[in-house]
Amino acid sequence: MLWVDKYRPKTLDKVIVHQDVAQNLRKLVSEGDCPHFLFYGPSGSGKKTLIMALLRQIFGPSADKVKVENKIWKVDAGTRTIDVELTTLSSTHHVELNPSDAGFQDRYVVQEIIKEMAKNRPIDTKGKKGFKVLVLNEVDKLSREAQHSLRRTMEKYSASCRLILCSNSSSKVTEAVRSRCLNVRINAPMEEEIVSVLEFIAIKEGLQFPQGFAARIVEKSNRNLRRAVLTFESCRVQQYPFTNNQTIPPMDWEQYVSEIASDIMKEQSPKRLFEVRGKLYELLTNCIPPEIILKRLLFELLKKLDSELKHEVSNWAAHYEHRMRLGQKAIFHLEAFVAKFMSIYKSFLISTFG
Amino acid sequence: MDMEFPDAAELEWLEANASYPDEEEDDLEFDDDFLQQPPSPSGSEQITSQPDPKPTLSLPPKPSLPKPQLPINSRKRFLPDDPESLSDDRNAVVITEEKRSRVEDNDEDWLRYSPPKQPEEEEPMVVEQELEEEPEEKILAKYALEIDGDCTPVTGLDGERVYAKICRVEDERVKKLEVKGYSTGLIQEPVRVLMQRVERDQFTKALEASSEDLSEANVPIGAVVTEQLWVDKYAPSSFTELLSDEQTNRQVLMWLKQWDSCVFGVEIKSTTDDVLSSLKRHSLAVQHPRRSSKSSFGNSREPRIDNEKAHNDLHPENSDSDRIKDLWDKKHRKGGPPEQKILLLCGPPGLGKTTLAHVAAQHCGYRVVEINASDDRSSASIEAKIHDVVQMNSVNADSKPKCLVIDEIDGALNDGKGAVEVILKLVSAERKLRAGKENEPEGGNAGKKSSKKRHHKTSLLRPVICICNDLYAPALRPLRQVARVHIFVQPTVSRVVNRLKYICNRERVKTSSIALTALAEYTDCDIRSCLNTLQFLNKKKETLNVLELSSQVVGRKDATRSAFDIWKEILQKRKVKQTKKSFNCFSSVSNDFETLHSLISHRGDYDLIFDGIHENILQLHYTDPVMQKTVQCSDILGCSDIFHQYTMRTQHLSLQVYQSPLAMSIHGLVAQIGKPIIEWPKSFQRYRTMSIEKKEILHSWKNKIPPSISRHLSTKSFVEDLISPFLHILSPSTLKPVALHLLSEKEKAGLAQLVNTMVSYATTYKNIKSDPSLVMHHGASDVSMLALDPPIGEFINFKGYDSCHIVLASAVKVFLVHEAEKQKILQGSSNLHSPPTGAERQDVLRCENSSTMSKASVSSDKTIHFRDPSRQKHYDLPSTSSQNRRSAGGTTASGKVGLPERKKKPFADSRSFFDRFRKPSDKTPQDNDHAKLKQKLEERDSRPLLFKFNEGYTNAVKRPVRIREFLK
Repeated sequence: MLWVDKYRPKTLDKVIVHQDVAQNLRKLVSEGDCPHFLFYGPSGSGKKTLIMALLRQIFGPSADKVKVENKIWKVDAGTRTIDVELTTLSSTHHVELNPSDAGFQDRYVVQEIIKEMAKNRPIDTKGKKGFKVLVLNEVDKLSREAQHSLRRTMEKYSASCRLILCSNSSSKVTEAVRSRCLNVRINAPMEEEIVSVLEFIAIKEGLQFPQGFAARIVEKSNRNLRRAVLTFESCRVQQYPFTNNQTIPPMDWEQYVSEIASDIMKEQSPKRLFEVRGKLYELLTNCIPPEIILKRLLFELLKKLDSELKHEVSNWAAHYEHRMRLGQKAIFHLEAFVAKFMSIYKSFLISTFG
Repeated sequence: MDMEFPDAAELEWLEANASYPDEEEDDLEFDDDFLQQPPSPSGSEQITSQPDPKPTLSLPPKPSLPKPQLPINSRKRFLPDDPESLSDDRNAVVITEEKRSRVEDNDEDWLRYSPPKQPEEEEPMVVEQELEEEPEEKILAKYALEIDGDCTPVTGLDGERVYAKICRVEDERVKKLEVKGYSTGLIQEPVRVLMQRVERDQFTKALEASSEDLSEANVPIGAVVTEQLWVDKYAPSSFTELLSDEQTNRQVLMWLKQWDSCVFGVEIKSTTDDVLSSLKRHSLAVQHPRRSSKSSFGNSREPRIDNEKAHNDLHPENSDSDRIKDLWDKKHRKGGPPEQKILLLCGPPGLGKTTLAHVAAQHCGYRVVEINASDDRSSASIEAKIHDVVQMNSVNADSKPKCLVIDEIDGALNDGKGAVEVILKLVSAERKLRAGKENEPEGGNAGKKSSKKRHHKTSLLRPVICICNDLYAPALRPLRQVARVHIFVQPTVSRVVNRLKYICNRERVKTSSIALTALAEYTDCDIRSCLNTLQFLNKKKETLNVLELSSQVVGRKDATRSAFDIWKEILQKRKVKQTKKSFNCFSSVSNDFETLHSLISHRGDYDLIFDGIHENILQLHYTDPVMQKTVQCSDILGCSDIFHQYTMRTQHLSLQVYQSPLAMSIHGLVAQIGKPIIEWPKSFQRYRTMSIEKKEILHSWKNKIPPSISRHLSTKSFVEDLISPFLHILSPSTLKPVALHLLSEKEKAGLAQLVNTMVSYATTYKNIKSDPSLVMHHGASDVSMLALDPPIGEFINFKGYDSCHIVLASAVKVFLVHEAEKQKILQGSSNLHSPPTGAERQDVLRCENSSTMSKASVSSDKTIHFRDPSRQKHYDLPSTSSQNRRSAGGTTASGKVGLPERKKKPFADSRSFFDRFRKPSDKTPQDNDHAKLKQKLEERDSRPLLFKFNEGYTNAVKRPVRIREFLK
């Protein structure tokens, strides 16, 4: 078991980062009032951990006993029936699923599951907590239709089920859905918080952990807690007693992106663009989301760029990312950004150096 | 969406035009001139060539030309600029009709029947549908003298001509038919004539019924009565008349000829001497079995009835000719049917594909059986039909062998596939058969017979010609691989124009060659539409007008071109257009615009088109100093993508119309004159399939990981955060490949941790064949090596990137696999047997194994919990693991070893557990039995038994036993 999982806080009390959020959640649960939630924040900030801890707070330890189910939903959509296959994770009290896996049929899934949950509503002997919780992951990838269908069901079945939505950005969740939820923003943890987490792990593992090294790991981790802990563990595996200037293994894809960036800086021509295209395809093939590639690429380019160009390049990056999200073929837009950058950079070079 | 792109294109265009402002002015002048004097030199040439100068255009002719350069220029405009065709055209214009056709004949003298005969023959054949008579045959050949009587020329593939003897068949035959007709009551006239008559009657009736004023209608009726469609009327009936590209024609014919040995049993392709001598021998020696296939394919109507009878009689007795045939067959078995048994002709409509197929097949002596789009195309019916044609020999000996022509095979997608499938089945069966036959010993006659029988079942015995418009239609993909493909190109304009002129002369239509050239160009050399237009205009009593051509051509053909053509059009600038530009800049640009627009929107598959542009655009050579054009192009591509996505999402499919301007603006930006190398857009598809594959791997991996861990991870975070460090963690540099008991306490702890991680993340090492593509970054060159089981390593294995991951030694891997396997089983068994009392269970296990661990170590803390069993295993398993390493069995072996061992323990355990309950009840009777079995048996036999059954009490047998028996 990796340290990420091993030292993941199981209850709201044990949470190290986002203690304020945990505090509030605990209060909410203790008062017996539980609204719909929308957790949003960057990846590796602890959304899932908080959600799990919250579930445990509501239902007790039985919420941890989960089983995986691969279920085929038969949905009656007007004239025909659609078979939608989806993996769900469920305990007696809650169901967790990733509706965006169902592609464009996600709305049927959401409706169907909520209806089913409403049908066999758990009745507690003490007459309390008569609701189940539906955890929907990656809501920002949910289609617009599904979100629209969600808002009605959220109201209709609110007596029998609560929704916990989890997404990276709230902007992709429609206004209507957002207003029906308690929005909980989970920030990326501060660097000091990450350091404290790492130190906590080091103590538990009985490791000597020099301060400077911790700072370096945190800096590399991009304020992503998961990544920080994983990096920490891989460093531990690579070399133990830690030294302050120990090499921290980089993320391979990031390394690759920085190679692409240096390729771009070296030469600006359609031919080079063609080579870059091949590399971008490599990254995309390995399931790395295009938005992240673009972001990382911009980051790498900005590192090497003259300061007067930085603003313009960032502006264009935003422009192309916007278009990428509107469109479908990410490669077109990634490439367009690279071409634009090449053009800007080249004309800049010509104007300054003649 | 910003609309800067069309603007940019416009700017570009303006730029281009601004550079030659004076030229443009010149052009305009020039144009005016031209308008005033339309009959340019070719018109005047016509005047010289023909006795009566007819004004062909609507405007008055001016024979005197003020500018000497003008004619050349204008001429160039209408004719393709290669000098050959030009001179060709001139020739053709100057000489008279008959001569012209002779010129054409000379071009194709290798296949010529008898040059001087041709023109005479043409008329009766076309107009009256009469059969040709051979008036001057005897005069011709060197070897003809050796044959007495009439003969027919037969030209071999290599141009050598031989003469086969014929008798005066024609008259006899006609007579015979008539006699037959009278006697048997069958029709005396050909069906075709009858049909025509019926049609004519119906038509006149209809006309009479519909038209009120008969006086006016009378004239057209007269015309109509004799007239059929020009397209049919002037359809080429012999090979030499074909308009299509000679190269293709010849190849098609060659292909058909290759079938001769198979179909007719005659080897044609061999050297001329061979053929000639054998033929001579044949014709001299064997006079009467004249159905020697030579003649039968040369001229259609020859085989006489008596000959047929003779043949039929001879056939069972293995006649001379048959023997010869067999002999030849044996000799040239290899040179049987051609390698590719199917011919696939493709090209845009109206170029004469169907005509070529028909004419060539007829030329080679086949009867054409056509399956058309309009016919039933379901798989079953088409199969029956093809089998009919391809495998049956005609019973009716009179008829020629059949040749199957499947027209428009790409037409209907789902149904059309039927035909393709059937053909493919035939071909593949044939392949198999041939492979099998090669193993067979070369048999004599008998062998041949048997193989023939089998042929009847499966193989293709007759040529099959498929015709399609789009070679790259998805349905044709499999066929393309097995078939011989000929792509039709447009015939040269001059050829088409010559032909048109010839027809016009025949029909006494006044035209000029300028107009005809324009017409031919306008219709992309589609002679069918040219003829239809001409006929239509003729009916309307109008003359062809160059300027109003677009309104005059009735049906502009709605041609969909293949994707390749479209990419080429987009990425390549046309040369011809440039010369036109000097003429009339504005109109040519708009023309260009229009053609491109119609081209793209006819195709419609915008997604594919833009993919193709994207794939190829960076390979073009356009001048682009600061990459502005590239930026614009990629912006346009992005725009089209967004557009596409939007229309798909909102289902406003009508908006797709606006995609083609986007493609055109790319054309404006990057189109070059140089020919681009265009590739099919594969990389995007490859990326798509690969990423789906990888996603699948991730999903299955995620499903294998226990839910308590996997619930926290999304597939995105797997690749983004997890995999790289995970690989580092899985391959610690400190792990040494030594025996377990040599490790220090700390190292053992590390190992246990590693194994634990591997198990909880459901990873293991697996044997894979050392496929070079799969070797990944490991670099090890073992014959069979261990790789991570969900192939996680692939996710960081980018092309041209070296990751710095440490690779474990394979011995360590084997060991790890083993340990992980054990750990898994342990977990499984503890979960299975007693989920609530897991701690107790472990306790029991440990006691049984007499491990060194104290019982007190059991606690709910997982870390200790997991470490303990693994450590305990280390103690009791060094022997097996070393064994394993020696055998190098990998996963499976270690699994097997590990499995029974673990399985045994719970079993033994459970037995003892059970025994605890069983003991008190079982002990006494058991002892009794064992001790005094024999005695009891004896005693029992001697005494009377007493059975008493008490329900619910006990199942033991009761009987009285004395105390002393116990005391013994």
